[in-house]
Amino acid sequence: MPERRSHSMPEALPGSIPAEGAVVASRLPVGLRRVPRGVDELATEHLVVNMGPQHPSTHGVLHILLELDGEEVIAAEASLGYLHRGIEKLAESRRYNQITTLVDRADYASGIHSEWAYALAVEELLGIEAPPKAQWIRALMGEINRLASHLLWYGTFGLDSGAMGPFLYCMRDREALLDILETVTGQRMMFNYVRPGGVAMDLPPEAEPMIRKFVAGFPRALSEFHDLITGNEIIQARIKGIGTIDAQTALAFGMTGGCLRGAGVPWDVRTAKPYGPYQQLDFSVPLGTVGDTWDRYMVRMEEMEQSLRMVGQLLEGIPEGEHMAKVPKVLRPPAGEAYACVESPRGELGIHLVSDGSDTPARMRMRSPALYNLSVIDEVLPGCLIADVVVIVGSLDIVLGEIDR
Amino acid sequence: MSEGVEPSTDAPRTTGLGELTRVGASELAGTLASMWAEGGFRMLVDLFGSDTGEGIEITYHLRDVGSGREAGVRCAVPYDGEVPSVWERFPAALYPERELAEMFGVRLVGHPNPKRLLTTDEIDGFPLRKDATLREHSELARPGIRRGGGGGA
Amino acid sequence: MSDPGRDIVGALAALALMLTNGVVLIYMLRKVLGRFHLRLGPMRVGWRGLLQTPMDVVKLLTKEDFEPAMTDKWVFRLAPLVVFVPSFAAYLPLAFSPTLRFAGLETGALFILTALAIIPVGVLMAGWASNSKWSLLGGMRATAQQIAYEVPLLLALVGPVMLAGSLDMTEIVLSQQGAWLGVLPRWYVIPQFGAFVLFFIAALAELNQTPFDMSVAESELVEGFANEYSGMKFAFFFLAEFSNSFIIAALMVTLFFGGWLVPFVDPGLTAPIAPVVFLVKVYLVIFVLMWIRATLPRIRIDQLLAFGWKGMIPFGLLWILSTGLVMKLAEVTG
Repeated sequence: MPERRSHSMPEALPGSIPAEGAVVASRLPVGLRRVPRGVDELATEHLVVNMGPQHPSTHGVLHILLELDGEEVIAAEASLGYLHRGIEKLAESRRYNQITTLVDRADYASGIHSEWAYALAVEELLGIEAPPKAQWIRALMGEINRLASHLLWYGTFGLDSGAMGPFLYCMRDREALLDILETVTGQRMMFNYVRPGGVAMDLPPEAEPMIRKFVAGFPRALSEFHDLITGNEIIQARIKGIGTIDAQTALAFGMTGGCLRGAGVPWDVRTAKPYGPYQQLDFSVPLGTVGDTWDRYMVRMEEMEQSLRMVGQLLEGIPEGEHMAKVPKVLRPPAGEAYACVESPRGELGIHLVSDGSDTPARMRMRSPALYNLSVIDEVLPGCLIADVVVIVGSLDIVLGEIDR
Repeated sequence: MSEGVEPSTDAPRTTGLGELTRVGASELAGTLASMWAEGGFRMLVDLFGSDTGEGIEITYHLRDVGSGREAGVRCAVPYDGEVPSVWERFPAALYPERELAEMFGVRLVGHPNPKRLLTTDEIDGFPLRKDATLREHSELARPGIRRGGGGGA
Repeated sequence: MSDPGRDIVGALAALALMLTNGVVLIYMLRKVLGRFHLRLGPMRVGWRGLLQTPMDVVKLLTKEDFEPAMTDKWVFRLAPLVVFVPSFAAYLPLAFSPTLRFAGLETGALFILTALAIIPVGVLMAGWASNSKWSLLGGMRATAQQIAYEVPLLLALVGPVMLAGSLDMTEIVLSQQGAWLGVLPRWYVIPQFGAFVLFFIAALAELNQTPFDMSVAESELVEGFANEYSGMKFAFFFLAEFSNSFIIAALMVTLFFGGWLVPFVDPGLTAPIAPVVFLVKVYLVIFVLMWIRATLPRIRIDQLLAFGWKGMIPFGLLWILSTGLVMKLAEVTG
């Protein structure tokens, strides 16, 4: 029985051989300042504290260990696995149409995108394509989901910095979006709506007026949000110049989404590897310059505006047709593998699916954008103050569900 | 739309990984280093393992963000075999390699922080291997838990 | 001078006011915050939630009052008292009307600040004795913050005191009667606007109130130094927080907003309702404090301390100098 310690860290994996001593600075990879060795439990002059897994910030069950010298962070390490449910293992014993309910619970804040990536992977294995109407509906629901996820991020970001008001204001708008999603898919969060071959149901007639009403009212709410946080000098003093992750570091750690675009790298799966109707839509991809918290914040605020634009275009342009292709009840894709990725609110969400010809997959791997976004903390947090830790982690926009799967 | 039984007959289906290279564990570091240096593949998109029945097959999915090219490197490792860590070229590998090691039982060499990522110390075995089976309801049954069709536990 | 019976009644009345204040202010905070956040606040317990706070008090009284192992027992137990008692003592000099006050103190304003200055000791005791790293960090931050902002608070106080010529709260209020040109009340907020701003900001920092509540409501600190407290000990901290805001608001109203004076009305006429006027003004100030709490985010601790030491103290000193200069010039030119 291990003795009780004030923080819990797993032991090193048996049989593993750690890196030799201290890696010489010249051999550090491009973009890194230090060896990401995690928190040193034996350094007695430093304080090792737990941030989480319970805390009032609603990132999910996030547990970060911080090695502190007074107020300054010396090292940081994420202790994950509190939400690990074995989704990849479960997927190996489920039929293809049952796995949709597994993947949308991984990233629960943006279920449509996870389901979409999975559906694209299965469709690639089957060699089919969803009908145009289904693709447009998927994009419409996807952009609505993106708005809902970004609103949640915005509210919790404000909460992290101490502003309680914006959190409730954004929940008001998010409720409108969740009502739309419930009208269309029947569920507020775990939709099980986007399925291989199309979408489960057609858009009901009640959905359109609700979406129009939201599109008409949201710009005012968005300007309110900008007044509350963006224009606030306290926030600006707290997040400008903090947590700078430049392009090299971001690419080195495999970051995608708002974090990568905040650093100035123009990689967006919707424009780089287009899927669905995105090639026919008119939208721009916001970019940052320096890669600090302010840039990541502004990129996501801009993305909300662009999403709103797209929702308007998508609503106008839905073609006629079927909402689901003719797929058999029990899907048996031929043996092969496929990797499909979508731009989820957090970044590039990919599903790598390996089929052996039976009705259950041989391997399903979920490329979680938040996992790679989070892995940067041991590089970017050292040197910051504790107060900055909360703000930086908030700006990464992580959801533990997809990190732990 | 097709019935979805036969794949389409035009271009051979790619894996979505781009060009796939298979290497052995000993050439892994060198191949990845040259892909980083000469190929311009600076981003590791994903790193994961798969139990093929004969061993563990590790896939490295690389990308050159500037041009959009993708490439894959696959390395077959025997059960409980060793695999060198590639974090010095691709720091994005830090977390996925830990997950690979705890889920499949391969041994990491040269990783600065080789701890478990998602599971706790108390589990036995390696969950994502094919011989690790999910438990049935009957296995969870113990005195006090109702057995029988469906309901119960 | 004053007979002991009168003193005891005064002290009990102050205690009663402090406790009633706590109950009312907690309810007011929850309702005000709720409305600002598009919520309703407490609605179920009693009519529109009016009984919520008394019920919360009952709950706190009946809660298990445990102490974590390995705390410094007596420091842990005394800390709430060291925070509570000075806060109670600071009620004594407050002037509610020309004749109504708990104790006649010629150095009232200074006494209040002195009492408030003892509180950081209690906070540090709480943070230390809790035997928890987060509590310690919270306690040290709170102490650093409160000590840093006591000086600007004091400097801001000097301006109006110079104009009034006395530290006695009643005198300060009485010197604000009348109006300039019959239009502007002689309240010190107008000639001493710089001191008012200084006082307001320093007050927010003293109260550990957003935007200066780094030490308390950090997203992972939860309650900062009072993390490990439960039951009645926690109630003491909680109550002291609200009674401090009353005291600071009362001080602000006395120094800058004419205390119990109603503008353009002869003070003799309003003497009967003076306490009501005073309380209304104090509650308005507290409302503004809650408004700020509901809206603004937090400043980081190092930015806070830098602003206090490098920004506010020089400004306060300059303000006092210029006030003195102006007063002397006015005296010389007659």
